[in-house]
Amino acid sequence: MRGKHVVISTLAAIALLAGACGGGTTGGGNNTQKKVGGVLTIVNESGANWQCDFNPYNGSVNGQAFGIIYEPLVYDNLLNDQKTPWLASAYEWSSDSKQLTFTIRSGVTWSDGQPFTAEDVVFTFATLAQHPDADLQSDWTVLQSVIQQGDDKVVFTFKQAAVPNFYQIAGQTAIVPKHIWSTIKDPASAVVRQPVGTGPFTMGACTPQNITYKRNANYWQKGLPYLDEVHYPAYLDNDPANRDLAVGNGQWGGQFIPNIDTYYVGRDKANNHYWFPPIQNINVWFNLKKSPLDNKAVRQAIAYGIDRGAVSQKGEFGYEPPGNQTGVLSPTFDSWIDKSQADKYGYKLDAAKAASILDGAGFKKGSDGIYADSSGHRLSFSIINIAGYTDWVASVQVIQDNLKQVGIEIKPQNLESTAYFDKLFTGNFELAYGSVNTSPGPSPYYELRNTLDSRATAPIGQTAAGNYGRYSNSAVDSAFDQYGATTDQAKQHDLIKQVQAAMLEDVPVIPVTEGVAWYQYSTKDFAGWPTKDDPFAAPAPWNLPDWEVTLIHLYKKS
Amino acid sequence: MSYLVRRLEFFVITLWAALTLNFILPRVMPGDPGQAMLVRYHGRVSPETIKAIEVAFGLHSNEPVLQQYLEYLRNTFTGNFGTSVTFFPVPVGDIIKQGLPWTLGLVGTATIIAFLLGTLLGMLSAWRRGGFFDAILPPAFIVISAFPYFWLGLFALLVFAITLGWFPLGFAYDLTTSINLSWDFIGQVIWHGALPALTIVITSIGGWILTMRNTMITTLAEDYVKMARAKGLSPVRIMLMYAGRNAILPNLTGFAMSLGFVISGAILVEIVFNYPGLGFTLLQAVHSEDYALMQTLFLMLTVAVLVAVLAADVLTAILDPRTREQG
Repeated sequence: MRGKHVVISTLAAIALLAGACGGGTTGGGNNTQKKVGGVLTIVNESGANWQCDFNPYNGSVNGQAFGIIYEPLVYDNLLNDQKTPWLASAYEWSSDSKQLTFTIRSGVTWSDGQPFTAEDVVFTFATLAQHPDADLQSDWTVLQSVIQQGDDKVVFTFKQAAVPNFYQIAGQTAIVPKHIWSTIKDPASAVVRQPVGTGPFTMGACTPQNITYKRNANYWQKGLPYLDEVHYPAYLDNDPANRDLAVGNGQWGGQFIPNIDTYYVGRDKANNHYWFPPIQNINVWFNLKKSPLDNKAVRQAIAYGIDRGAVSQKGEFGYEPPGNQTGVLSPTFDSWIDKSQADKYGYKLDAAKAASILDGAGFKKGSDGIYADSSGHRLSFSIINIAGYTDWVASVQVIQDNLKQVGIEIKPQNLESTAYFDKLFTGNFELAYGSVNTSPGPSPYYELRNTLDSRATAPIGQTAAGNYGRYSNSAVDSAFDQYGATTDQAKQHDLIKQVQAAMLEDVPVIPVTEGVAWYQYSTKDFAGWPTKDDPFAAPAPWNLPDWEVTLIHLYKKS
Repeated sequence: MSYLVRRLEFFVITLWAALTLNFILPRVMPGDPGQAMLVRYHGRVSPETIKAIEVAFGLHSNEPVLQQYLEYLRNTFTGNFGTSVTFFPVPVGDIIKQGLPWTLGLVGTATIIAFLLGTLLGMLSAWRRGGFFDAILPPAFIVISAFPYFWLGLFALLVFAITLGWFPLGFAYDLTTSINLSWDFIGQVIWHGALPALTIVITSIGGWILTMRNTMITTLAEDYVKMARAKGLSPVRIMLMYAGRNAILPNLTGFAMSLGFVISGAILVEIVFNYPGLGFTLLQAVHSEDYALMQTLFLMLTVAVLVAVLAADVLTAILDPRTREQG
């Protein structure tokens, strides 16, 4: 199944490139004549009214600008790491993986008619170097220099081997026009009302309620996009957004809909669809600096004591699938999973196994049915959670019941989100429920590194950017370093297998369920949507810059 | 006169206390804006970048608290409210300017309508006590106002917007129009605002009816009303100028308070009808530890309530000579 996905998306990428080189039809693999026209409405909870600011260097507003207006050098698909040359027509790593050379595409123009050149690329990165507050991807924590070579080449030199940083540098950094941005003094706080980009759409009109994007007739991918206009209304909350999706006021959704089969699909079974690809694990975190959680046996016993399937069904209505102890998302990254090792451990609800591990480690069940160590300390832990996330609260209740059967007591502490993150980041917890608060990446490396690398964490009491459990394993750190130094995929797979081995043996966190990209779409008037069988882009409207790729594939059915 | 002076003194002291609390409260909340930002940017940014952004936001001031406090007072009185973190780099003033007209327009109008209508209905049902009006109206509205707002709002949407299609599903005006002062736009605003306003009126009118009816009944038993009847004055004149004028006094302070609270918007209305306004902005400010925005909104709320109460005191003094003389 997995192999088929890759082949299809490669075909889609090739078709897209063919279109870029002046061919007639593009995308989707369907060769019917696609005409220009149609107004598509995105229905995605934004949680605020629009500020009508299209600054790609401002993290509060770049979701309305990056992709659709400003584009990256290479489109790197979040779901399968499929790389499609975009503003760069080619790229090449040096043999030591410390230098990356892009060939800048010719024939691209900014929406004001000026030509796009290698100078714009160099200028963009030079600006980010001078203004760390605009460097939203922290590019310059890994970059050493960015230099133009000849007319159309730009050479990126890194401080160390930096293969995985390709995603942030080439795939997640928006390129801006030098002739406009060179006059902007403070790029992070500039308010950009009339954005000039290379993207498939331009900003047509904006009110706090709605943004109208208009087709860029001079887009460098000739013939694209098909859509005439895209409307992006601002929704404060899920409820009104879900209503508009259900009655057909919009075609493309990106948020949680309770009871979706009745509420949404049921209204128009032939046309209303959804697909929720997993993009991030939701874990039970252990504070590894606290006894007895620093004892591997306790963590393994807990991992055998949780019924992930029941958590997924009861806590997440089955929308978010159960996780697995390798920490590699399934089905998103199935090809990376070390099946044989995972099977050897066979982590699933197994109370007998959990009991035997605890017995073997010297714990004794007390009269209250809860295990305790030789000095009488009971296995009783608090678990912090976000009170507002009712699905997570329900999930932890299932875990609590599961572990009670095993003989471990869990006491949920449901907190306001600010208090929760404060405790999580500073390591002021025993157990925590939640995901690593970092952007997902196009391979398992990104999430695993942010979850496990000892250099992503901080001492207890200080804010950690990742690895909230304070896990430290030099073999794992070294595997991440080696991964960063190789472009050899087979070797990368081997290294991630080493990390999975640590996940299975040490159980530094327990992935319980998998958070998904919420995505609903209506095929009533429009076709060309990304699907499970053709995942040419991460499908939610808030997947940046993937939403651009979805938008240029969509066309109005005649 | 001394009555008013005492009221003014009280006003100034309360204002200062509120200002100071407003300064302290956000600073004792758990978490800090940097963390909130790390959460919002989903860790894409390194701690170094966060520091750079914090500096750009002007968050990490190493000034002593006293100096921050004095600066805060000065900024407050000069109307310099700083920059919002949530909506960076928009100044707080601009965000409030954007939301305030909608809040005043919708919640303000609905509150005034509910008060006027409720007071009138309360007066009438007391005038014809035990009549048809009196038997139906107060109980009916009391029951309705006990409904959860979410339920009522969604019910109104289901019936009037989805099933009947009379009103739009949300927003304050049509999606593709820009804000302007044409009749067409005003029409859209009224059409879009009708359903949210109606639900606010329906849920809040019960309280006004009940309090007005009850005080009116007490007033109707007073000697001066009997006197007026004996003099043969017209019933309408007795109802409005003798009984009504006195019965409305307790309601007036309540009305002033609720006018003050208009500023805080109506969070639930804004969520259910996806309507712009300050209520949801306040909620967001609290969630993302946006001190500048939060402080300004709380400040406006406090000042509005205090001013409204002061105005009610003055009005009471005018309507009721006893308050003046007793001072």
